[in-house]
Amino acid sequence: MKYVGESLQRVDSYKKVTGSATFVSDVKLARMLYAQVKRSPYPHAKILNIDISEAVKLPGVKCVITGEDYKKRGGLYLEDRNFLAVGTAKYCGEAVAAVAAETLDIAEAAVELIKVDYEELPAVTNAIDGMKPDAPLIHPDLGSYKVIPIFFPQPGTNISHHYKLRKGDVDSAFSTADFVTEHSFFIPHIQHVPIEPHAAIALYESDGRMTVWASCQSPYAVRQALSASFDIPLNKIRVISQAVGGGFGSKAGTTLEGIVIPLAKRCQGRPVKLVYTREDEFENAYVRQGLHATIKTGIRKDGKIVALKNRFIWDGGAYTEYGVNIVKAAGYASPGPYDVDNIWTDSYCVYTNHPVGGPYRGFGMCEIHFAIEQNIDIVAKETSISEVEIRRINGLRKGGITGQGEKMIVSGYHDCLETVLKEIEYDKPCVNTSPVKLRGKGIAACWKAPSMPTDVASSAIIRMNEDGTFFLMVSAMDIGQGSDTVLTQIAAEVLDVPPENITIRTGDTDHTPYEWQTVASRTTYCAGNAVKLAAEDLKSKVIELAQIKMCAYKRELEFQNGFVVNKMHPENRVPIQTFALGLTLPDGSGVGGPAIGVGTFVVPNNMNADKYTGMGEHPVAFWTIGFNGAEVEVDTETGLIKVLKMVSCFDPGKVINPLTYQGQVEGAMVQAMGTVLWEELKLKDGHILNKNFVDYKIATAYDIPELIVKVAENAELTGPYGARGIGEPVMVPGAPAIANAVANAIGCRFTRMPITPDDVLNALKGKNKK
Amino acid sequence: MKDFLYQAPESIKDAISIYQQFQSSAVIMAGATDIIIRMRDKLISPECVIDIKRIKALYGIEFSESKGLLIGACSTLNEIAENEYVKRFYPFLAQAAESVGSKQLRNRATCAGNIVNASPLADTATPLYVCGAVIEAEGSEGKREIPIDKFITFVRKVDLKPCEIVTGIRVPHIPGIEGEFFKISRRHEVDLSTVCGTVAKTGGEYRIALGAVAPTPVRLKKTEALLSGRKLTASLIAEAAELAKSEISPIDDVRASRQYRLDMSALIVRRGLERFAS
Repeated sequence: MKYVGESLQRVDSYKKVTGSATFVSDVKLARMLYAQVKRSPYPHAKILNIDISEAVKLPGVKCVITGEDYKKRGGLYLEDRNFLAVGTAKYCGEAVAAVAAETLDIAEAAVELIKVDYEELPAVTNAIDGMKPDAPLIHPDLGSYKVIPIFFPQPGTNISHHYKLRKGDVDSAFSTADFVTEHSFFIPHIQHVPIEPHAAIALYESDGRMTVWASCQSPYAVRQALSASFDIPLNKIRVISQAVGGGFGSKAGTTLEGIVIPLAKRCQGRPVKLVYTREDEFENAYVRQGLHATIKTGIRKDGKIVALKNRFIWDGGAYTEYGVNIVKAAGYASPGPYDVDNIWTDSYCVYTNHPVGGPYRGFGMCEIHFAIEQNIDIVAKETSISEVEIRRINGLRKGGITGQGEKMIVSGYHDCLETVLKEIEYDKPCVNTSPVKLRGKGIAACWKAPSMPTDVASSAIIRMNEDGTFFLMVSAMDIGQGSDTVLTQIAAEVLDVPPENITIRTGDTDHTPYEWQTVASRTTYCAGNAVKLAAEDLKSKVIELAQIKMCAYKRELEFQNGFVVNKMHPENRVPIQTFALGLTLPDGSGVGGPAIGVGTFVVPNNMNADKYTGMGEHPVAFWTIGFNGAEVEVDTETGLIKVLKMVSCFDPGKVINPLTYQGQVEGAMVQAMGTVLWEELKLKDGHILNKNFVDYKIATAYDIPELIVKVAENAELTGPYGARGIGEPVMVPGAPAIANAVANAIGCRFTRMPITPDDVLNALKGKNKK
Repeated sequence: MKDFLYQAPESIKDAISIYQQFQSSAVIMAGATDIIIRMRDKLISPECVIDIKRIKALYGIEFSESKGLLIGACSTLNEIAENEYVKRFYPFLAQAAESVGSKQLRNRATCAGNIVNASPLADTATPLYVCGAVIEAEGSEGKREIPIDKFITFVRKVDLKPCEIVTGIRVPHIPGIEGEFFKISRRHEVDLSTVCGTVAKTGGEYRIALGAVAPTPVRLKKTEALLSGRKLTASLIAEAAELAKSEISPIDDVRASRQYRLDMSALIVRRGLERFAS
């Protein structure tokens, strides 16, 4: 292949590096208004009265709205959410009113003038407590909410979804096991911290059209959600997503768009802009849900795991319209990449008075694998089987059966395991450089499937210009992961033209074709397939015409380096641009018209799993499997952990661009390291104590360890050139690999992340007492 | 952010006179790395911001054996960290200056600002405490020198009279002083100290100061007295590290527990003294 598999420079690199890429916050429109939001200071409170009279009087204020103005609920999977609180405020920071004004300063001043009377209500600040029968109800009307029927809210409780996976007979399997052991883990809330905070502008025009500029991953999903919430027909609402400064899932749903739209509706002809501050980003975008996980494992003496019983309790926050699907994904992935015959999993999504949980890179997998992969090491230790051997025995092989009962057609589990063991030199003991600084190594596996409905669609359009260059149009968004480059490479491969001859255009629902969402590590696979089909469609149409021009059969013609070439007689060739506008015949008549290729894709034969057992024939598009290894050094006097080295080996099917692949994987390992060493949204009584970079720490360039990136390619049968998605999976094993390395270094196990210096010293003190 | 008047006088005299006009509704700004954050967070809403960066007299780092080191109020932390005199005679101050925030931030932030901000965890404070630095201030009634341990009186409280401006910091020359600055933080770069401290030796005397363990940085006088003139043995070091904990009153907060801070204080004392024992 000429372009697929090559380390092409990113197509967006010049604009990003020179700062000329346009982000929503850069957009300034004529007569633009600025929005600000009045927010609840309480985690749970009844709104008794909102007095906007003083705010409205302030010169420069154009309009003030409250939740009473737009009561309709919305949501992706479960319609439980109002963009402005109605009746009660359900988390600290929830929007209760919003202002549009001539300047940001006036908008801020107006917000100060809005007076809200609250009656504080008892708050749910722990998901386990939230499940208790006497817990305060956060959504008393849950039973009346519209929900996609693959989710199961429990009216009269705070449980917005109860996912069940039921495979085999766990109870009898436990009774045949030689060892049965149970362990619990806790993963706190974290935030995505994209470098660009959320931003949106809405403009409502006199013809009833609404245009929204949003920093978003999924313009079509946003369009759908806004259309439903605000009763705007889809042909009257246009969502434009320009450069996106990182999403990691936080820009997949709708957040602040729902605030600027009602303001814009009241200020016809005036664009209304809202840009989140970093504090807003922590509190009012999305956060990764907290998780309480318990895993009960039944294992035989020979190392075979015979039964698993999992209980996942997710802290979904005040609204779980998106979060319910994370709970489901975690449920069906709950055994991890292991071949286990008997599984019982309950995964609960619980409303709390915490910030709104939503998709975060990994979609539940980072959280559950922190538990699953430490559990494997713990069980190995308890049963005196090596943690490597237990993985070799139980890891999913080709032909193995997943937790949902599907047969694995390909599996790179064992290839990746052996590569990581070799690269981290797992068999060689660590050499300590100081008696107080102890080193250790750890490994962890993971798997992930695209957590998307079975029938979601992608499309691509490719147009040839008169000079033989192309426009490729898709609505998959380059959020930093490199999709613009990879999709261009796929088109270039099919058309056999240099990638620089193809300009990719994305993110405009009026002009670029449908894409469900840029999430689920599905873009290379789904959008990639659509692009490949579109390019093949164009090629086929051109070759139809070339038959006439070149007096040859279609089967003899192919695209080569910008020409249609007769394979039998290569000297017989015609530049592709000859067919850009169709073919002109000798008599001057034209046939064919402009060369446009269309490609559409849905995953073939992807079917819903059984509602009650979670079992299915082909319930997910594919599984991506891989491993991380880590070496750490723990200062036993300060408790500080330094990660010295990380190794990744995944099975991506086929790497389309090795350079962007390496960038994705390295970034993922560093992000995972940040979560296990530092990141936690510290919540106390429903209030965030660290909604700033002073006390919410992510990894810096200084902290980056030696990083090694390897692949084990086993082609995905339905993927473009054999590729499957990797963007999220590559982050998943980092945290448990580091936790396993820490346990290996100091002999203490940490079932909660992040692993703080405080925790390390306390554990060492506890160990020394014994 | 509320509107404010921005003034950038070119002399200390002019700065004081503007200050007198606005009194407590004005703030002095040098590097602005603390002031802007506090204004953005609405912790302060000054009517006037007096930028002293155009006052030439406030720049420069000078050293003489008789007068010691004089750090101008507008000298940046990077300038201090890279200064040859500072590196030679006060290496622990250079270490501390270099440990604050990021390189970009240290291009703006000043040592004087770090002290006037009077955070208990100010990284440059403990080196100045062990050297007995004095703060030079000037007001309408003239110039004044205040020892640093009298200058910082509480969390974000300093002994400045109304309309007095810090013009510099003078650090006495202490021949033969050796020592090390320690910073224990969650993350190596761009982080606040969970605990910080300086342990120094001059002749047979030891000087120890810790930050982020009390409402102000503290000199550990009892621990210093215990060590005075004695040969450092492992047991004496252990005793000193234990005693150090009795001289501080750390708190639990979002960064660490009180117990962790106590442990780290003892560790800094121990690691600092071990250097002199070997």
